[in-house]
Amino acid sequence: MNQPIRPNQTTLDNFAKDLNDIRAKTMKEVGQIDANHIRKMIRVQRASEITGRITMVLGFINPVLWILGVLLLALAKILDNMEIGHNVKHGQYDWMNDPNINSRNFEWDHAGDSASWKRYHNHEHHTYTNIIGKDRDFGYGLLRLSDDTRWKPKNRWQLPVFVLFSMMFQWGVAYHELAGERIFFGKRRKKSSLPITRTQLRNAFFSKGARQLFKDYVFFPLICWPVFLPVLLGNFCANMLRDLWTASVIFCGHFTENIHVFKMSECENETQGQWYYRQILGSSNITGSRWMHLLTGHLSCQVEHHLFPDIPAWRYLEISKQVQAVCKKYDIPYNTGSFTKQYFSVVKRVVTFSFPPPKIHAQAG
Amino acid sequence: MTSDNILRTGQSWLARQITNHTSFGAYFEPLIQLLLPQWRSDRLRSKIVSIRQESHDMYSLVIKPHRRWQDFTAGQHLELTVEKDGAWMSRFFTISSSPAHFKKSGLIELSIQIQEKGQITPWLSKALHAGSIVNLSQAQGEFCLSRQEEPILMIAGGSGITPFRAMLQQLSLMPNKTDNVAKTLMYYARSSEHFLFKQELRKFTEQVPSLQVHFIDSAEHGFLSAQHLERYSENFKTSHIYLCGPANMILHGRKLLTSLKVNWQQLHYEFFGPEPIDLEQSSGANSILFSRSNKQISTEESAPKTLLELAELASTNPVSGCRAGICHQCICQKKSGVVYNTKTQQYSDTGAQEIQLCISVAASDLVLEL
Repeated sequence: MNQPIRPNQTTLDNFAKDLNDIRAKTMKEVGQIDANHIRKMIRVQRASEITGRITMVLGFINPVLWILGVLLLALAKILDNMEIGHNVKHGQYDWMNDPNINSRNFEWDHAGDSASWKRYHNHEHHTYTNIIGKDRDFGYGLLRLSDDTRWKPKNRWQLPVFVLFSMMFQWGVAYHELAGERIFFGKRRKKSSLPITRTQLRNAFFSKGARQLFKDYVFFPLICWPVFLPVLLGNFCANMLRDLWTASVIFCGHFTENIHVFKMSECENETQGQWYYRQILGSSNITGSRWMHLLTGHLSCQVEHHLFPDIPAWRYLEISKQVQAVCKKYDIPYNTGSFTKQYFSVVKRVVTFSFPPPKIHAQAG
Repeated sequence: MTSDNILRTGQSWLARQITNHTSFGAYFEPLIQLLLPQWRSDRLRSKIVSIRQESHDMYSLVIKPHRRWQDFTAGQHLELTVEKDGAWMSRFFTISSSPAHFKKSGLIELSIQIQEKGQITPWLSKALHAGSIVNLSQAQGEFCLSRQEEPILMIAGGSGITPFRAMLQQLSLMPNKTDNVAKTLMYYARSSEHFLFKQELRKFTEQVPSLQVHFIDSAEHGFLSAQHLERYSENFKTSHIYLCGPANMILHGRKLLTSLKVNWQQLHYEFFGPEPIDLEQSSGANSILFSRSNKQISTEESAPKTLLELAELASTNPVSGCRAGICHQCICQKKSGVVYNTKTQQYSDTGAQEIQLCISVAASDLVLEL
């Protein structure tokens, strides 16, 4: 993992100008077609949620129907979280002035409270992407993914931890975005940057978490009483499928082998060009079919998402060709690959850094 | 709490729990829109019956409101919402027809002046046609005639005639033989061609004996003055006075009338439509009203500040994050006015919309929901 040498300032200024041009050109086109896209996605989500929940109940006729129901419900949850929720909460559709499709009001089918998630994800993760100590999403405080983090004996177990974390990703994210370790275990920072109190944060966590549990494990199983258990189990499986998928997509976006990390000192008083450069080096894309891109909420274009977080995401595919051309022009690395390749490289990174750094490296570094 | 209320609270609680939406209507909205394009759970889907040109810069929309649209009082306005290039655009317009007309025909009219630099008013008359769908709010507003014994003086400037047309049409359709309260309308316009509803207003004076209408060409006779008041309405000091028109006309009228010792309680006025904003002349101090906290602050020309900084200065405790337009945490509802977005380098629309405080600066007086 060689950190490439950062191009000089003039190059980065031109680079930023080219990227800004892509942004301006794309934003000019945003309109009816984007509104139609997101409404269509919401319709597909509603249709799969409703049919999924009904089909699951019909599992007593034939177990295949139960499996189909679980898959449809998982699809609904994935669409709600990725293509709809994540993107709406980034403000990509705020210009629509729609009371239900905007970053202020949208609440997703996910254990994490929307406002808390927005506070950390949109602000910390997107502003301080891959800066060790600042971007808490880098390894989620659980995984050691760079030699810049000190090795601890518990890191030996990080591959099984990685698998478990993936399966319970929504709860991991809910707890993490809340900065749970600070709220619950009292690691209080001297100067809190939080715009709301710790009590408010804790209440948001519990009320949203409880709502999600009530819905999937009390309400729907109860109204389907004779098939209480199959429905409860089906909902659990749908949630887990969604968790596995979203975790995998997000890991592929930031934890692949060639992802770079940064120190806070490198990023102080960054110019726009330097910021763009860091976003590109800190993200990786996944190639695939149109459906795969939709299911990832176009986070398969993680690079473009980090450059332009508020452009409607379905446009990233088109933009990615232009971004790649610009990167090539300035000789800036652009990380992309198939899902299998990227996922394998994540696992490799998790395993590599579960061992202490070799002594030679430590001295040389 | 009535049982109806309990039912509604229960429904909304359940919707929150199982759909993560504020109501089941909001959850199903995109599906319902497949059958009923532009349907909104929080609005009333209504049909355009026809569009009538009133003058070269004014037109009336004749609308058949949804059956759940309730009655109104002459002088009230409503919010019209239409979809333009995928975005919902909302504007307030006065209902220029009367409740009696609505009862008879089931129709209402909105008379709209074309704002030259506006995004909506010039576009609307071209985009809509008979059969088009628009969304309405219920009628609202307090600008209505009082039922007292004192005489009534109405002063209209330009397109500010619309609420008075509704009030006078109501009087003519619901004649009250015992009603002898003197009613006077002083109608100012830039030139004799600019008087709207001229025939109709004349007809009203025939049907309502206690009504007098004066058409005053301000190019020829000048603007509202003490002399005009004396000439057209000798008992104006004891009258209930209603003012509607451009903002500067209302400010002028208010000042004139108070200087003539007219009691504040007798004055009624409504700033008509969005205030005309000339972006080239937007320099100078703007005032920003934070509607929730009821605080106000002015911008300084020499030291431009973002709305977020101003909101913090006014101690409205805005939520903020990256302060660079990335995180969308400081998003806030702008009720009215124009802002300049420093990131997209574009001026906003004048109506209600969501803005990012950290990258917005005031380009006119603003009302923010904070």
